[in-house]
Amino acid sequence: MMREERIRRMPVVISALVALTLAILPLPKVLDAFRPDFLVLVVFYWSIESPRAGGLTLAFIAGLALDVVHGVVLGQHALALTLMAAWATNFRLRIRVFSPVSQSLTIFAFLTGYQFILFWIDGATGNAVTSFGRWLAPVTGALLWPLTVGSLTRLSEHRSP
Amino acid sequence: MVAFRSSDTSGRSTGLLLRCVLFSLLAVALMIVDKRYDHLGKIRRALSIVAYPVQLAVASPFEGWAWLRENLTTREALRSDKAKLEDELRVAEFRLQRYEALEAESRRLRALRDSTAGVGSRFIVGDIMDVDLDAFRERVLVDKGARDGVYVGQAVLDAGGVFGQVARVDQLTCEVILISDAAHAIPVQVNRNGLRTVAVGTGNLSRLKLPYISTAADIIKGDLLVSSGLGGGFPAGYPVGTVVEVKRDPAQSLADVVVSPAAALDRSRELVFVWLTPAAPSTPSVPAATPTPAATPAPPTASVPGAPVAAGAAPAAARVAGGVKK
Repeated sequence: MMREERIRRMPVVISALVALTLAILPLPKVLDAFRPDFLVLVVFYWSIESPRAGGLTLAFIAGLALDVVHGVVLGQHALALTLMAAWATNFRLRIRVFSPVSQSLTIFAFLTGYQFILFWIDGATGNAVTSFGRWLAPVTGALLWPLTVGSLTRLSEHRSP
Repeated sequence: MVAFRSSDTSGRSTGLLLRCVLFSLLAVALMIVDKRYDHLGKIRRALSIVAYPVQLAVASPFEGWAWLRENLTTREALRSDKAKLEDELRVAEFRLQRYEALEAESRRLRALRDSTAGVGSRFIVGDIMDVDLDAFRERVLVDKGARDGVYVGQAVLDAGGVFGQVARVDQLTCEVILISDAAHAIPVQVNRNGLRTVAVGTGNLSRLKLPYISTAADIIKGDLLVSSGLGGGFPAGYPVGTVVEVKRDPAQSLADVVVSPAAALDRSRELVFVWLTPAAPSTPSVPAATPTPAATPAPPTASVPGAPVAAGAAPAAARVAGGVKK
């Protein structure tokens, strides 16, 4: 049992760390607004694919990590990511049988909801970012979803044959 | 192409709902505690130490590349660099000769006026880490933290002028908010005539704006703005920017003034952290913004400036009096 748990968790941890690295990788100013929320995509993937491996604990911890590296109020990303990951987990059985396009559209809805919660908390804590650019990340994230699924499926199958 | 393994049968929705509510409440509680009270500083510092290796891992390839480029320059390049630097040094030394006399004079005059404008007394240099914090906020991460005595609100300069101030301090790193951040404002003064105002960031690295200039105010394109030192957050007299555009609409009461920052906000790698000490410590109402929290080691020169100022003041006053008599 322990062994099985271990094998399952390794790809989750690795993918989350890689995504966190991608989230703070310096990009040219022009491209910065287009950067998808890598870690959020990874959390969504594990929420849909196997909620037992990561689940809401992963979502919460990943959110806290984002709070720390972005230097915002502690709990902001954690709240947004927890709520959206719970939603994704709830619909996971349906999402799994969606066509790739429908999947991307669903993920777009999740990412927009995530971004909206962030936007709302930004405003509530008194440093609102009203620039239109922040709504670009959900679009690029949704476009990147098939690639995320492809690479993470390969990773999980490679690690636990 | 997109295929999930449907092996999972766990996670009943009631359990999911319960955990979702639990984690959400935890997150909300964290936010409230973090925002309202200052108890989370230690937790945040601990977490940021955990995040530090990731940030270092991201930053190190870029630093490695810079190091490699630095070490693989040709003899020719080094030689021409050396010649250029020597020229610059000569000019700088020439300027410095006048500067020291001017500084002494300014101190005497300030002492006469009982001015409290802060002067920088101690400096350390920090490097910007190649890490992106947020695409929509003008902030950078610097490799100096509470360990080095950096405090929140501390003024940060670069070679060109005022760069920003410290917004958050962790154990090993700190976050500097640039003067161009939309949430940042700095008290400034027009160097030509002493007109005081506030320069506010725009979210654009290459421009600041002066929103509180009346259409009748004497300000023209090309004016140099220096920090006024009012409020005590920034040292006085450092360049902030130059006015690049003044739009006066007779129908409006306020003019539209655009400023280009003096600091290389998008290019600087080394930043200077300044410790302020009030120039005239005799004044009781020292501005509140010279914070010396327990974590900050007292600047070694903290008690010194009083002496030269006072010493300088007396002969200056005598000289002025003497001049008047004559």
